[in-house]
Amino acid sequence: MKPERVDLQGVSNERDLIDRVVRTRLREVERLAGGLEARDNQVLHDFRIACKRLRYALERFEAIDPSLHDAAERLARLQDALGEAHDRDVLLMILPPPMAQTQRRLRREREECVDQAASLWIELRDLISL
Amino acid sequence: MKWLRKTIQNERRALERARRSFIGKPTEKRLHEVRTTGRRFRSLLEDVADFEPSLRLLRRVKRAAAATDAARDATIIRRLLEATVDADEVEVAQQVLEQLRTQERLATDLARKRLRRMRFLP
Repeated sequence: MKPERVDLQGVSNERDLIDRVVRTRLREVERLAGGLEARDNQVLHDFRIACKRLRYALERFEAIDPSLHDAAERLARLQDALGEAHDRDVLLMILPPPMAQTQRRLRREREECVDQAASLWIELRDLISL
Repeated sequence: MKWLRKTIQNERRALERARRSFIGKPTEKRLHEVRTTGRRFRSLLEDVADFEPSLRLLRRVKRAAAATDAARDATIIRRLLEATVDADEVEVAQQVLEQLRTQERLATDLARKRLRRMRFLP
């Protein structure tokens, strides 16, 4: 999924730059957050990548604006949960049929990871909404 | 913006350091470092493309990431399978694990070869 272009026209200082980048990346994340309800692999994957972009932006700007630290940390946890779910999706695709018990375990764990990500997203949304 | 130029330069150097380190000794940890620094740098270039357009550099960073995807996937999936396999299915899993180990080795060698030809500093 291609990232949305950040419009930097008229930006003349670091504060404006942070604001434009964070707003754009946050908008992307909010647009894709529906993936948590759909629980579909691809949509969740796109949401995870958008979270990653936002997290990197927040971490980069933390040096200038330390108030971004908390949100960056929570995003890292959200991204970890989504990453764990994604890894299980990938492994499930290659497991042979005789491994039914392992598949069941992986599916259960995958759902738990998505649930955890959904809870983390609710907390995070209140912290950083546009 | 002085801060921005300095940040781009720092992240560029970090990626070049990680690349050299991985080429010198291609361990799992160093592979992770190349991927992480690469992703951060890519994200920075994409965020500030309006200010500092560097399409060629961005393409190179994307190629570096693509070169390491297969090695990373095989490692992560092998580890996950080792950790989650059901006790009754260990025998069947051995075959899959063996395939993943081979894939991991080959993909890491290939990543090393590809990264050897790339440079991130002028």
